[in-house]
Amino acid sequence: MSKKTVKLAVVGIGFVVATVWSWMYIHMTFGGLFGGFSDLGRLLQRMFPPDFYQLSAIVSATIETLWMALIGTAIAVLLSIPLAFGAARNTTPHAIVFGACRAVITLTRAIPDLIFAAIFVRAFGIGPLAGVLALGLHSIGMIGKMFADAIENADADPRDATSATGASKWQAIISSIIPQATPTMIGTALYRLDINVRSSAVLGLVGAGGIGFLIQTALRSLDYPSALAAVSVIFVLIVLIEVFSTRIRASILGERSSSVVSAQQISGAARKRIERDSKKLIDAVTMRSITPPFTSERRSRIFGMWGVGVLLVIALSTIDMPIFSSFQYFDEAWKAIRDLFPPDFTLARTELIKGMLESISIAFIATTLGLIIAIPLGLLSARNIVARRVVYAVTRVALVVFRGIPELIIAVLFVSAMGLGPVPGTLALTLVTACFMAKLFADTFEEVDPNPREAIFATGASRLQELVGSVLPQSLPAVVSQVLYMLDVNLRSSTVLGIVGGGGIGFLLLSSIRVFEFQTTGAVVLSIFVVVYAIELLGTWVRKLIQAP
Amino acid sequence: MLNEKSEVVVSLNVVSKKFPNGTLALDQVSLDVARGQLLCLIGLSGSGKSTLLRHINGLHKPTAGTVDVMGVRVSEVSNKELRTVRRHVGFVFQQFGLVGRVTCLENVLTGALGRLKWPRYGVRSYPKDLRRLAFEHLDRVGLADQAFQRADTLSGGQMQRVAIARSLMQQPQLLLADEPVASLDPESSGQVLELLLRIATEDKMTVIVTLHQVELALGWAHRIVGLNSGKVVLDRPAAGLSQEDVMDVYQRVDSGRQTPSETSFAPAMQAN
Repeated sequence: MSKKTVKLAVVGIGFVVATVWSWMYIHMTFGGLFGGFSDLGRLLQRMFPPDFYQLSAIVSATIETLWMALIGTAIAVLLSIPLAFGAARNTTPHAIVFGACRAVITLTRAIPDLIFAAIFVRAFGIGPLAGVLALGLHSIGMIGKMFADAIENADADPRDATSATGASKWQAIISSIIPQATPTMIGTALYRLDINVRSSAVLGLVGAGGIGFLIQTALRSLDYPSALAAVSVIFVLIVLIEVFSTRIRASILGERSSSVVSAQQISGAARKRIERDSKKLIDAVTMRSITPPFTSERRSRIFGMWGVGVLLVIALSTIDMPIFSSFQYFDEAWKAIRDLFPPDFTLARTELIKGMLESISIAFIATTLGLIIAIPLGLLSARNIVARRVVYAVTRVALVVFRGIPELIIAVLFVSAMGLGPVPGTLALTLVTACFMAKLFADTFEEVDPNPREAIFATGASRLQELVGSVLPQSLPAVVSQVLYMLDVNLRSSTVLGIVGGGGIGFLLLSSIRVFEFQTTGAVVLSIFVVVYAIELLGTWVRKLIQAP
Repeated sequence: MLNEKSEVVVSLNVVSKKFPNGTLALDQVSLDVARGQLLCLIGLSGSGKSTLLRHINGLHKPTAGTVDVMGVRVSEVSNKELRTVRRHVGFVFQQFGLVGRVTCLENVLTGALGRLKWPRYGVRSYPKDLRRLAFEHLDRVGLADQAFQRADTLSGGQMQRVAIARSLMQQPQLLLADEPVASLDPESSGQVLELLLRIATEDKMTVIVTLHQVELALGWAHRIVGLNSGKVVLDRPAAGLSQEDVMDVYQRVDSGRQTPSETSFAPAMQAN
């Protein structure tokens, strides 16, 4: 056996051992597992049919959720642009700036937005401002990293050529790197908007605005049909935003640019548009115009820019949040963050250790159970494996539907059905993991090379033999790295499950804030950061190990 | 200060360049280039042609010797002064160096950045007179029709012509072209070299081109300089030079590697 195999085997065994240990640590049983699902079933029965008597409150809370996500994403994009230039190797002014920018990105990514929100609610009081800032800060982690990657991936040739004409460093960067990075940047911002709509739907659980508060109140007062009404409205919004974001991203990445070409292969409206654009391009040059003509490409770009601007203005003017005076809140925010230092690990040491271990356990169990469910589900939703289109279509739709509901809302439902504790939290995460992983697996299976599959069928193998002998081995590296990714995601989620009573360290976090023991809060945040970062490093290491020859 | 009228545009004086990895890329090269000359640098890949070119606009600094461009010692000046020199020296790259996602006109306009103070983004951020000038340069390279098309919709030869138009935006006295036709088909190669020759004569511009196709060099250049392992091994006017004379440069290298009697001499050269 090679060194690589040994290392991978150790990782695999470690994963299984960790899961078994976790199972015992949180006293998980198979009875509890299946009982939990039937409890949830009974709760859902009591929720039906949804009752929309609070419709106007639900709609305004939904709109607030959307505006929070929009403003939060915009703040993160604005802050991320300078940060990304500092954090990209090819544009950073100095090694110290590089290190500092990377540190900010790592830190904001590792601390869940709900934790930022809980801290900010203490600082500014209940309302969407805390939520918006939490989304803005946490999103920097992902947006900043993706922006920096886009800048680093830009082709260096145009920049060298521009510098050679005597342009200054920043003139060259802005003229040559920004145009190359914009499609990725816009795509990232839209993707993050999609994620932030889901996040802002649950920020209300800690009082940071949005529809989460309404859902929680309805559940607490046992008004189940109204809770379902709120969940279904927010669900519609989430799916709409996802569809919108995916479509725009696809059109940006696969963009057709306008040029003077004959449009023979293209038909209908698209062809007419291209012909119109060609004519405009030719007219512009025959009139020796020095202003770019309004081609459909330019029109949609301008329309998009104005659209975002107008939406932001509407969002800022309708959201119930101080805008011009919000700068004075920076003081408060800074004070709230400063109060976390120095972190005090002694006051609640037992709870801290217990909570952290519980969170880690939940993450491991949810990932493993999710994996077991996701493999068959993923196979069923892969187009090239399931012969019947109906099966494929039904599972795909089911996955999309389930993924549309934020995990914390599912956790709230499980907690309402089963009571407090780590088991309902684990079940909620398992369900979400299974659906998300099944989608990732299905995409991986669909990319499998068909030639080895045919070869195995040709030897007279059965469908199952072929699956085990060809599809699974080919997708194994991708599947392993997706499992690690899910573990990483689940660990972040399991640290906040406690906020809704789903077990883990989140409970200590929330209670320490409630009793103003901010230094304990600081210790919790720091522990979460360390554990999340450690798992991320482990994941990167294993992924490198797999890719190594 | 930079003297735009100087008759000797480029002057290399016993220039040597040793890279940190130990390769001796230039070995005591001396070269004077007069105004209006179209000079072709030929040689095998790795012979030091590109390195030489990059010394002229200060992208590389020599280990020994001096490089003067229009009276400025580019081998010694500060970065700020180097920018001033680069503003007057066009550079055309093998891979064009165009930003694919923006229009040809904007790509040409970036050639004027050295004269502008702030960064620019989008055609409309440039002054109108510069936009008009950029359009004229595009017209001159025969691509006015494509002014508002994205650069990545063009063919390789067209892209290289846009890149040349971008250099013209600088109104340079000296144009350096590093393997400008290496990624082009023969027909586009001819068009691009013809364009360079036309510009050199019409604008009295000095042009230094590196090429590895001998027949192209003979067809277009005024003067041919052959490099081998960083040394100048040929420096003659192109007129009256036969393909055999030039191939002799290459031949000598090849035999040096193949004939057993000369193998003792080959390692000695590497050690140099």
